[in-house]
Amino acid sequence: MLETHQNDTSSKFGMWLFLLSEILLFGGLFILYSVYRYQNPQLFHLAADALNRPLGTLNTLILLTSSLTMVLSILFLKKRNPGKTLLFLASTLFLGLFFLFIKYLEWTSKVHHGIYPNATRLLERERGEILFYGLYYSMTGLHGLHVLVGLCLLSVMFIFILKKKIDHNYVVPLENTGLYWHLVDIVWIFLFPLFYLIT
Amino acid sequence: MTTKDIEVKTYIFIWLSLVVLTGVAVSVAGMDLAGWSMAVALVIAFLKSGLILLYFMHLKEEKGSRLLRWMIPGVLAILILFIGITFLDVAFR
Repeated sequence: MLETHQNDTSSKFGMWLFLLSEILLFGGLFILYSVYRYQNPQLFHLAADALNRPLGTLNTLILLTSSLTMVLSILFLKKRNPGKTLLFLASTLFLGLFFLFIKYLEWTSKVHHGIYPNATRLLERERGEILFYGLYYSMTGLHGLHVLVGLCLLSVMFIFILKKKIDHNYVVPLENTGLYWHLVDIVWIFLFPLFYLIT
Repeated sequence: MTTKDIEVKTYIFIWLSLVVLTGVAVSVAGMDLAGWSMAVALVIAFLKSGLILLYFMHLKEEKGSRLLRWMIPGVLAILILFIGITFLDVAFR
C-alpha cells in the first residue's frame, strides 16, 4: 500500500489564500459599481426598479439554504455517515442548479425586452442605465460562473465519496469545496442588495 | 444530546438568522428611509457574511491560526483602502 501524506492545515490555508484573491477579484467590480452609482444615483434607481425583486429574494434564500445543506453534508462525513453526506450534497447541487435556472429566467426575460449589453434598444437609453445593466450582466454573470464551477466541484466530490476516495479520515477536499461554496454565497449576499434593493 | 445534535442545531439556528436578516433587508427596502436604506442593507449584508464566515466557514474554531486571523481583516482593509482612494479621486476631481 502506498504511504499517503496529508497536511490538512496547509491545504485549508491554500484554499483561504485563493478565496481572499477571489474577494479582491469581485472587489474590483464592486469599486466600479460604487463609483458609477455615485455618479448616476437616479438612473441606477430607475434601472434597478425593472429587476424582479421577488425572484432575487428567492435566489438569496436558495443560496442560504444550500450553504446549510453544505455544512450538514460535511458534518455527516465527519460523523461517519456517508449516506446522509451524499443526501445533503445532492440537495446542495440541486439548490445550486435551481439558482442558475432562476438566473436564466431573469436574464432571458431581460434579453427578451431588448436589454442586454450593446443592444440598440438599451443604447438609446441614458448612460447611467446602460452602465447599470453592463454591471448587472458582468457581476451576476461572473457570480453565475462561480456557481457553475462550484456545481462541478460538488459533482466531483459526490463521485469521490460514492467511490469512498473521500471519507471521515480525509474530509479536507469536501471542506475546501464547502469554503468555496460559502464564499460564492457571500458574494451573492452583497450583489443582492446592490442590484435588487436600490430604493 | 450528542455533540452532533448540538452542531446541527447551531447550523439550523444560523440559517434561520440568515433568513430573518434577508426578510428584514427586503422589508426595509420597501420602506421609504431615503439615504438610510442603503446603509441598512449593507449593514445587514455584513452581518450575514459575518455569520457565514464564523459558523459555516468555521473561522470561530480556527482560533489557533493566527495568520488567518490577520489575513482576512488585512484583505478587507486593502479593499476599503482602494475604495477610499478611488472616492477621494472621484469626489474631488
